[in-house]
Amino acid sequence: MSGYNVRKLKEKLFLFLIGALTVLMFSPLFHIIYSVFNNGIHVILSRRITFITGRLSDGGIGPAIIGTFILVFLASLIGLPVAFLVGVYAYEYPESTLGKATKSLLQIMLEFPTILVGVFIMQMLVVPMGTYSALAGALSLAIIMMPYVAVYTHEAMRQIPFEYRDAAFSLGLTRVKAVFRVLVPMAKRGILTGVLIGIAKVAGETAPLLFTVGGSYQTYQIGITKPVGAIPLLIYTLIQSPAKEHHEMAWGASLILLLIFLGIFIPVRLSLREVKV
Amino acid sequence: MKKIYTALTVFVLTLGLVASGCISQEQGEKTLTNTKQVPQQQIIIRTTGATFPMYQIQKWIEIYQKLNPNVKIEYEGGGSGHGQEAFLKGLADIGRTDPPVKEASWKKFLATGDQPLQFPEVVGAVVVVFNVPGVNELKLTKDVLAKIFLGEIEYWDDKAIKGVNPSAKLPHKKIIVIHRSDSSGTTAIFTTYLTQISKEWSEKVGAGKVVDWPVDKMGRGVAGKGNPGVVAILKQTKYSIAYTELSYAINENLPVAALENKAGEFVKPTEETIKTAVANVKSYIPNSTQGYKEDLKQLLDAPGKDSYPIVAFTHLLVWQNKEGKHYSPEKVKAIKEFLRWILTEGQKSENLAPGYVGLPKEVAEIGFKAVEMIQEG
Repeated sequence: MSGYNVRKLKEKLFLFLIGALTVLMFSPLFHIIYSVFNNGIHVILSRRITFITGRLSDGGIGPAIIGTFILVFLASLIGLPVAFLVGVYAYEYPESTLGKATKSLLQIMLEFPTILVGVFIMQMLVVPMGTYSALAGALSLAIIMMPYVAVYTHEAMRQIPFEYRDAAFSLGLTRVKAVFRVLVPMAKRGILTGVLIGIAKVAGETAPLLFTVGGSYQTYQIGITKPVGAIPLLIYTLIQSPAKEHHEMAWGASLILLLIFLGIFIPVRLSLREVKV
Repeated sequence: MKKIYTALTVFVLTLGLVASGCISQEQGEKTLTNTKQVPQQQIIIRTTGATFPMYQIQKWIEIYQKLNPNVKIEYEGGGSGHGQEAFLKGLADIGRTDPPVKEASWKKFLATGDQPLQFPEVVGAVVVVFNVPGVNELKLTKDVLAKIFLGEIEYWDDKAIKGVNPSAKLPHKKIIVIHRSDSSGTTAIFTTYLTQISKEWSEKVGAGKVVDWPVDKMGRGVAGKGNPGVVAILKQTKYSIAYTELSYAINENLPVAALENKAGEFVKPTEETIKTAVANVKSYIPNSTQGYKEDLKQLLDAPGKDSYPIVAFTHLLVWQNKEGKHYSPEKVKAIKEFLRWILTEGQKSENLAPGYVGLPKEVAEIGFKAVEMIQEG
């Protein structure tokens, strides 16, 4: 009987420990969200719409918001199709030399220092073009986004039981059709998660933009060969200032960035859960 | 699942629409403002580089844009090194660098076939700040300052500190020395000054953007990222001392130590003491068409009874625009006007941000001559 009690106690203790550690792990996240809301909300409330649409000299971060959207959109346009195909390729030809190389190269790319990507693009694109541009920024973001999406695609495809593949072939489908009509749709949950993580990752990147986009906060300049701003870059610049008003703007900008991030992430995440496999 | 795809597609399309909407809106706005004011196109001037003068330049930009709605000035940080490179490659119209470009690298700029011009725009100071409860005034001799950062003076109530601060209530507590963890121009200025005043420092540590702090090995050194990081640690750590830029000390209301200058006087960083120091090293500032012989040393530890010893310069780089190599005629006009404004109106106290000091007239004159040299092509 006492042995049973001890075991019960051990179980409870273990559950409590795991629960406590989980809370501990997530508390920084909630603290970040809380402090960003707390410090940012009054900045936005006091300036209202000016903060969203105004230029920096009016006390707004409008050009930076637009810039972030343009950069993420362009980076997705460049990066996602390539990354998706690379991921599928690495899954389809795991034994080939190129497939093996792709897999290990993807791992290296994941860990690649992002600032080096920025410097590389600056030398390759910005200097020859003679101007900072949204294109250069989007390209460096795409380079950072691609390995995430490719690795997730690869992993998602690998989780599909092999029988589905057999079944597809037995129906007389060609390899291309089997992969893109049967296997990819089955793995779309994992692939979409990868896409989301990739997008979320680059939406908050600062380092690769430092030497590529140039920044545009006083004017709305739109065009892929023109310099643009970005919210993370603006925050980075503002917090280096000694001035309180700059720090306040940085908090407000952080809140906007967080809202954009949550606004994309939460709905897609929630709707993904309903998918029946 | 299809719903999500549709939703995503709609989202992406809306984004595109919003973006294109902004383009047309912007053009509409432009024509509107243009009809109201002078029928002139909007001119964008880009400036890149040093972050030390950021607060000041943002303030100038804000005021200047109100006076000249057609001119927009885009500010970008990235550091002095990046400022020089972006300027050299033609990515920025006006480069900003704290340490001046030296003669050796000047040739690289001349190789473009255009004449670069370099001149100081505004000055600040590197100051020694401290957090010792009950102590608001502190005098430090050169010897004491070096020894504190070398770690040789361990306690606040050391004889050497007490000797120059007889009235201060110094506690028997260990001195915590805070320094920068990142590569920093502020560190370069401060350590260069220490090598000038202390032989021991120059032999043991030396000067640079990053140095090996001897106090770290003694367990009394703490590192902070950027000036904001250093200031935040100082405020939380009792009995600590640090170096930072004057603007941070003023904005955060930190007590600042009076330092012994070349003439042996104790001087606090104020507008007068900094201006005096700048005026006294004026002869080392070369003509705007030449690189500096030496970058920092000659500008530090200025002679004169009232000179603050650690003055921080920051310089502008602009092209002379021979044969219109770098700027269009409209841009030249805007750049010249902006720089002229910086060197005259911009130097007045109402247009200066706290912690920055305007140039003495004779030093501003160097810049003024440079601006007049810029060719409208």
